[in-house]
Amino acid sequence: MSRITSFLRQPIVVALILIVLLLYLGELLSPGFASGAQILRLMIVASLLGIVAAGQNVVILGGREGIDLSVGGVVSLSAIIAGNVMNGADGGILPAIAACLLAGAFFGLLNGLGITLLRIPPLVMTLGMLGVLQGLLVVIRMGIPSGQAAPALSRFVTQPLVLGVPGIIWLWVAIGILMAFMLNRTVFGHRIYAIGSNEHAAYMAGVPVRLMRIALFMISGMFSAIAGLCLLGYSGSSFANVGEQYTLTSIIAVVFGGTSLAGGKGGYTGTMAGAFLLVILQGILTTVNIDESGRQMVFGATLLVLMMFYGRGRAMRA
Amino acid sequence: MSKLKLSGVSKAYGATLALRRGDLEVLAGEVHVLMGSNGSGKSTLCKIIAGSVRPDDGRILIDDTPVTITGPRSARAQGIGIFYQELSLAAHRTVEENVCLAALPAKAGLFVDRTALKERAARYIALFDGVSGDGFSADALVGNLRPDQRQLVEIMKALASEAPLIIFDEPTSALDRAQVERFFEILRDLKRRGRGIIFISHRMDEIKAIGDRVTIIRDGETITTLNLGETDAGTVIRLMVGGAGDMPASQSSVPAVVDAKDGAALTVRNLSGAGFRNVSFEVARGEILGFGGLHGQGQSALLRAIFGAGAVASGEILIGSERFDAASPRDAIRRGCAYVSGDRGRDGVISGRPIIENVTPIHYLRDRLMIARPSKLSDRVAPALESMHTKFASLFHPINSLSGGNQQKVIIARWLIDRPDVLLLDDPTKGIDLSAKADLFALIRQLAAEGLGIVLYSSEDAELLGNANRILVFNGGSVSRELIGADRTRYNLYQAAYEAA
Repeated sequence: MSRITSFLRQPIVVALILIVLLLYLGELLSPGFASGAQILRLMIVASLLGIVAAGQNVVILGGREGIDLSVGGVVSLSAIIAGNVMNGADGGILPAIAACLLAGAFFGLLNGLGITLLRIPPLVMTLGMLGVLQGLLVVIRMGIPSGQAAPALSRFVTQPLVLGVPGIIWLWVAIGILMAFMLNRTVFGHRIYAIGSNEHAAYMAGVPVRLMRIALFMISGMFSAIAGLCLLGYSGSSFANVGEQYTLTSIIAVVFGGTSLAGGKGGYTGTMAGAFLLVILQGILTTVNIDESGRQMVFGATLLVLMMFYGRGRAMRA
Repeated sequence: MSKLKLSGVSKAYGATLALRRGDLEVLAGEVHVLMGSNGSGKSTLCKIIAGSVRPDDGRILIDDTPVTITGPRSARAQGIGIFYQELSLAAHRTVEENVCLAALPAKAGLFVDRTALKERAARYIALFDGVSGDGFSADALVGNLRPDQRQLVEIMKALASEAPLIIFDEPTSALDRAQVERFFEILRDLKRRGRGIIFISHRMDEIKAIGDRVTIIRDGETITTLNLGETDAGTVIRLMVGGAGDMPASQSSVPAVVDAKDGAALTVRNLSGAGFRNVSFEVARGEILGFGGLHGQGQSALLRAIFGAGAVASGEILIGSERFDAASPRDAIRRGCAYVSGDRGRDGVISGRPIIENVTPIHYLRDRLMIARPSKLSDRVAPALESMHTKFASLFHPINSLSGGNQQKVIIARWLIDRPDVLLLDDPTKGIDLSAKADLFALIRQLAAEGLGIVLYSSEDAELLGNANRILVFNGGSVSRELIGADRTRYNLYQAAYEAA
């Protein structure tokens, strides 16, 4: 009996049950909501969020109030860079990927340096970085066309690739497997958990805490950059602040998936379920004609309710 | 006449009797010294008088009238002031505000009366004119002051209470000679005015200089009260140690001299840094060198500095015959140095993570691993844990599921997969049960026998006397005495710890 209840209490199980319930609810509200094609469409949107959330996830796991509020800005910037580099030509995809990853890593590096060397709290540092990125977006867009997605990229994101499933969903699955491997089976992953659980003990056991933290923010920047690139493929052309919504939703997806905001506890599989769940919720809200501002309010409230249930990961240190 | 009288006061925390029987009488116009080793019940007794701990039993009389002290405010109202050892200052306020903090002069019961505050604070600040050092002024922010100046502010604050009875709990630990002299003049003046003073210090010379009588506490009981003029340091220390003090160290003893296998494992020359100065010693391979002395005399700071987790100002460290100045613990670990802290919650345990991940970090680093394969790691982790009889159900259970003693064994096990050359133990048995301690010391001796150089700092004298081949006694950040062979007795350990160098 207690086994069943403890199984049911796992965040990922809760998320999966909610996914089924929400799909059922969506089907009731608007027949066809849970059809195969529609679910694939939802999964494409979820994979964009899921890729951003992968970076958010490692930053939060690393603890010490780790959070990356600049992800939305990096997504937007990357979409613009990608659009301008490839400018509708397939030949520009590889240079665009390189340019986006570089930009993501660069802003992640700045975040990491500010947090470790200047000891600025992550919340403040990444919020400031978000402001910088938003300003940069305005400057870049002055008079310059925002660029076009290459056809191959759009196909990768929106059209079936293998077994009727679009490439981006395969990419997401691959990222899921890689993340699980990294967190559970590599020294790097164990060190993420170590610094998230007890930074000082990790330091005393020879973990290069600062380098680790910088690396985490760079990883986050690069995941956001990949998501920005894919987002361009999804929407065809980039427009101002396309990535804005990802800041809040990526955090909610991570928390939904059972990762503690205090760090050191959780994983990516739950986050994937959390991302899918959020996208379904978004779909239902759209179905019942709730506009963007209403959706943001629902998401904000969702995060607060989640925090009440999961707590801020009670004092971890015994 | 007696200012304060305690009889038969006791206090238990759960099953632990912190104070079994406290009897104390402080007369008007005397400086009454309290002496006892760490954990003897001295600070519990002070806390009871200051009202921050309620006694379970016993009577308290102030000016021969029975009283009940219900809390710190009630103690203050009944004329008791206290100097807190762990300073209680507001860092962002000025010196004068801190001095008057307990009773800010007010206008109309609401607004702070600035002029009155300045006047009152100035009286106490003037007491230390000339010795308070550069940068000390009434309007300086306390947060910008040096440690000794902050301690002066805390003293002024205690004096400003103008309480008939003031408790000073180690008030001189950060002060220089001139400041101590001035402070003692002030105390003598208070004596003349009929105040009662309780004074706690670990420095025998200070106690002789200022104290009138001394009450000795041992194992939660006040043993006796003596006139300091009619006794000597030896007698006082003998009373603190108790009957068995002169017995030599060894019940199951370790040899006093190790047959030096092949030279020194660790050499430290003229090392100075935050909390310790000019320390030199050598640990042979196979030797257990003990660090003794009162708490916080630089032992921990020194061990951490060797391990790269604290700053070194000057001096040199060698492991084997190679120069070793670790920039970080990571650096130290790579070069064969190990460190186990007694504060495992802060320095050791990676909470919430599986036992296996708590054992492997050092192995990852020393073997430059990238991939963590559980089956392969288990084969290395399990023997390390078993060598200390660690009790666990599965390597994959969280470390928090273990008892404190078993957690500490896990932390130590992480150093056993890739053997270090030097093992630094910083009060490693703090808060763990007796059987775990026994397992731990059996392992430490075995490691020594295998040729490791071991430094053991312990706050428990019995552990030092029973396991160390040599003991260095620390006092005020440097080594005040080395105890070798038959000199390793409880008495000598105490005497060296309490006698100022």
